[in-house]
Amino acid sequence: MSTTLSVEKTEPGGAILRDVLRKAIRLRELQLVVAIAVVVAASAVAHPNFISPGNISFMLADSVVTAVLATGQTIVVLAKGIDLSVAPILGIAAVVVGFPAQNHNLPIVAALGLVVLVGLVLGVGNGLFVSVTRIPPIIATLATLSVYGGLQFIIANGQEVVNIPNAYDALGNNDVVSGIPWVLVIGVGIAVVVALFLRHTNVGRAIYAVGNNAGAAHRSGIPVQRVIFATYVVSGVLAGIAGLLYLCHTGSADSTTGTDSNVNLTSIAATLIGGTTLTGGRGGVVGSVIGAVFLSVALTAMVFARIPAIWEPAGVGLLILLAMVTDRHSSNLTARARRHRQGST
Amino acid sequence: MTAAAAAPGAELRPAVKSEARGDSRRRDRNWVLALVALLAAEVVYFSGTVPGFFGGGTGLLALTEQFLDVGAIALGLAVVILTGEIDLSAGTMSSFAGIVMAVLWRDGLEIWVAVVVALLLSAAVGALNGLIITVFKVDSLLVTLAMQFILGSVATALGGASPPYGFPKSFVSIAGTGTIGPVPNQLIVFAVLALVISLLVGRTRVGRSLTLIGFNRPAARYSGIRVNRTIVGAFVVSGLMAGIGGILVSGLYNAARDDIGNSLLLPGITIAVLGGVDIFGGKGRISGVIVATFVLGFLTEGLLVAGDSSLSATMVTGILLLVCLAFKIGLDHRRGVDDRALVSRRFRRLQSIGDPS
Amino acid sequence: MSQAHRHRTPADQPDTSTITVDAYGERLMSTSPPASTRYVASHVSKAFNGAPVLHDVSAVLEPGEVHSLVGENGAGKSTLFKIMSGLYRPDAGELALGGERLADLTPRGALQKGVYLVPQEPTLMAHLSAAENLYVGALPHRRMPFIVDWSRIHREAATYFERVGLDIDVETPARQLSIAQQQLLECARALVHNCRVIMFDEPTSPLTSHETEILFDLMRVLRGEGLALGFISHRLDEVFEVSDHLTVLRDGRMVASAGRDEITRDQLVTAMIGRPIGVRTRVRRTSDVTDRREVLKVEGLSSRPTFEDVSFVLTKHEVAGLAGLVGSGRTEIAETIFGLRKADHGEVWLDGEPLEHRTPRRCIDAGLVYLPEDRGRNGIFSDVDLARNVTAGIVPRLPLRWHLISTAREEAVARDSAARTSVRAASLGASISTLSGGNQQRAMFSRWLLAEPRVAIFDEPTRGVDIGAKDDIYDIISDLATSGLACLIISSDLEELALTCDRVLVIYEGRIVGEVRDEDVTTARLGELVVGGGRG
Repeated sequence: MSTTLSVEKTEPGGAILRDVLRKAIRLRELQLVVAIAVVVAASAVAHPNFISPGNISFMLADSVVTAVLATGQTIVVLAKGIDLSVAPILGIAAVVVGFPAQNHNLPIVAALGLVVLVGLVLGVGNGLFVSVTRIPPIIATLATLSVYGGLQFIIANGQEVVNIPNAYDALGNNDVVSGIPWVLVIGVGIAVVVALFLRHTNVGRAIYAVGNNAGAAHRSGIPVQRVIFATYVVSGVLAGIAGLLYLCHTGSADSTTGTDSNVNLTSIAATLIGGTTLTGGRGGVVGSVIGAVFLSVALTAMVFARIPAIWEPAGVGLLILLAMVTDRHSSNLTARARRHRQGST
Repeated sequence: MTAAAAAPGAELRPAVKSEARGDSRRRDRNWVLALVALLAAEVVYFSGTVPGFFGGGTGLLALTEQFLDVGAIALGLAVVILTGEIDLSAGTMSSFAGIVMAVLWRDGLEIWVAVVVALLLSAAVGALNGLIITVFKVDSLLVTLAMQFILGSVATALGGASPPYGFPKSFVSIAGTGTIGPVPNQLIVFAVLALVISLLVGRTRVGRSLTLIGFNRPAARYSGIRVNRTIVGAFVVSGLMAGIGGILVSGLYNAARDDIGNSLLLPGITIAVLGGVDIFGGKGRISGVIVATFVLGFLTEGLLVAGDSSLSATMVTGILLLVCLAFKIGLDHRRGVDDRALVSRRFRRLQSIGDPS
Repeated sequence: MSQAHRHRTPADQPDTSTITVDAYGERLMSTSPPASTRYVASHVSKAFNGAPVLHDVSAVLEPGEVHSLVGENGAGKSTLFKIMSGLYRPDAGELALGGERLADLTPRGALQKGVYLVPQEPTLMAHLSAAENLYVGALPHRRMPFIVDWSRIHREAATYFERVGLDIDVETPARQLSIAQQQLLECARALVHNCRVIMFDEPTSPLTSHETEILFDLMRVLRGEGLALGFISHRLDEVFEVSDHLTVLRDGRMVASAGRDEITRDQLVTAMIGRPIGVRTRVRRTSDVTDRREVLKVEGLSSRPTFEDVSFVLTKHEVAGLAGLVGSGRTEIAETIFGLRKADHGEVWLDGEPLEHRTPRRCIDAGLVYLPEDRGRNGIFSDVDLARNVTAGIVPRLPLRWHLISTAREEAVARDSAARTSVRAASLGASISTLSGGNQQRAMFSRWLLAEPRVAIFDEPTRGVDIGAKDDIYDIISDLATSGLACLIISSDLEELALTCDRVLVIYEGRIVGEVRDEDVTTARLGELVVGGGRG
């Protein structure tokens, strides 16, 4: 076996460095960090208060709910799906826990178990529609969005959660150590666990494989439909947990919680901005979390710039468009580079 | 050529009554017939069980005013879905059009001029949707989702704290609650729209391009059909129809509503799918969508008249959508269409949009 | 993970007996391959939608042997291998591996038994690394279940890559690999799964001669290790170079089976095409036509790196050919002329008028049509009825009545055009998918006849068409040329070009490297030119 085919010729050290740099520049996570820095710097010049420890802590804590939702959304999108029903799942979890907590002082551990159960059941619903009856994900989850929304309305029954026990409030708003809120620790913990799960377990890798090429995954013995099913269940559970975090952080829940704050849009936006593509199999949780932070920073900057809150959804929508358009360009470039390389060998 | 023409090639019988296996036109027709039967059963049921539903026939006709705005949106959505795309911005597009019209009128414009301007703007936003999708080759799902929220913000901002209300009588009569005899004016407007769209899709060259693109986009391209232009056109139609839906909403409530638009999206999609439009594009007839408008509309209104809350009516819409799709996909499966091939049609499109490899 | 970045110098051969794998892989690999790996397919039959593709075919893959299937397009070679690897289920007949009968074989079951098909087109996960692609579906895990052992994957992938002669970084994303490298990676997958039977379905068609040699070296090594190998190729030279045993299929039937040294090339070809070579009459017309006006002129057309500086002229009444290997750029040239792809440079003239800003629509309206290579994907609208399939090329010219399409007149137009190419169908309203391949192709011809073209490019006009219909299609093309059309035929089937063309242009790696006319148009001469040889 003396003859071999090689992709890369041996390169001098400088070229390797250049290569690494080029790769880094193309990395979405790095682009986002730079974007965050730019937004922060610009806002700080105009409003020095923007970089006060209090505001930074607020922005980070504020991004946690989005980040947890985006983590679940990322898993679904990696397997070439989409989940438009995370908003009512979050809302149902919040009201299901909120009322017993307000009225009967439900212990927080039981609350956690309850939201996980709620997310599990509703996620199973989505998973069944997508993987068993094979309804396209957009339509299936758009339909469950309204079904779950109705369910939330019925559960809330016109009531509102306004008072939550101290334990909940402490979880939502107190710091572990000064400047680092509890929710942030929980959010980071979830993101790390999911990132490790996606990278280092065979189920995680199967999700990537299905998203890349479902036919080839099937040929390799991966149970494609079961993997797709699982992604919706995980997304549901994470949306349930996000509901608890939302309740603790804001101290309120009602029949339109989640839907009224456009968490569907923000979770998808964070995922896409973070570099996970709707074509499946590419991206990851780290990007989505940074994307959530970016969203939070950008929206806070809008507030500081005195832009009315009604423009928030429009801002997020514009960011989604921007993320898609720029991604299209970068993938074009890599495709061109590839063709060129193949042509020259 | 003469040799070929003389060859035994006259095996083509007229297509009028085809018993051929896999005749898609015939299947579509059966679906429409089934819907008509469903509609009849539903009207009979509610008339018998819900007092005040039938109302001597005029009550029934008057009820249509409550849902024809959704019907208009569904007609536009059907055009987009036929090409295999989706338009999630149709709901807030309605709010947007209604608010634009109302604000222009409040600022002194003649009401019908305001209507025309609002519709032109809706069509323009639809064109923008289509252009972003075709020029940047990104998925319509995300573009229109983003547009949904952008339009929502714009509508809320334009409308301000209390959106305009109390339009001139002529407007409210034609676009809203006026009647000719027992027939609501809205029903006449809807009939005109339905006729135009069904002729557009079924009997024009543009309509033929639309459906062929939905059936097989690459083949359409290789056949010389201007794919991008046609898709932009579909989004223009969808924008325009959503705009008209918004005008009808304003007429019905005699007020511009920035809050109601997005709740019209799901029923709109449900009507299109229930009407037999294949969510993957190509298959479907507008006549089915028209019948489905009344099927879903009377169902919702029947439940509301019977005293159910509007949200549980929305839930029923969602459930109906799921059941209907599961049923259709199951039918295709039984007919021997490989369901994996079916699902992979959408996947393939996504793939081709993303990475060329 | 940090130590697992670059393993270009693997230590030793992987010890496959110790591989433990995760939950999916456990079942895949627990059954060690049977001692004897003689793989027998006996009396296999298969039909698609009632059209027989294989009829009572038997083949034996012996350990330590390369067994080639040869035959024309559509002879059933790929179908047989797909049945043997569990992708299709046979209608009749059985499979037996080392004496054990394999019933209801699935791709997964085949892999468990140690049978692998290297597909015609590699199906890798574009965004996953080369190493992960190797193990996908059966990633080895650490002591804790479900936790993927990346360092071992990278270490062992490197040794497998070394073994198949693939010198790449194990973390290279699959989308950056060339087709040849992807093909070798597919071979390595078979080794990872410890396969004893490996079948190759036309692995060489996208490869250069150098890459082909690498693949053959690998096949010889595997044969030396006692594996049973199956092989399909269209190039007879390769078949004779690498095989030990040959089985000839024609129209789904086995017509010959012999050791390599027991059969001559001529005998083989005779068996393949069902008549002695050269007896088939040339469809080509004699050049008694006087009107030789230039209709299409292509000048300096380039789209780097696919093709460069392509210039040629087509005249009225002419049937010209474009020969070249798969991947030589021939389809891309045609698609660029037809406006489906953008050219970097170059111009196209039709009847002396420049065709600028070309799109398919503009080309069709100017009188230039293109019949695509992949009929199922780019040609037919499979759920649509025959009539609308035939008129799909002239949508802007559909007959109108009161500004609406006149269905009756449209059907009349479609019926006339379908009759011109003798399409056989139950009715104009039948979905085109219910038609046979030959009739679908006839319908495609009638679509383009409606556009009244002056120039037509036919890309693989007889692909997926039964033998009988082939001759009819040659007749159609010949008649079209007689009536004045300038035709360009693109084909991998050199005999087809030799039969139909007055003149053949040869493309090699994106450039026109030769042109042969009239009596020089022979399969042998074309065969030399398409692989880049025989210059001067």
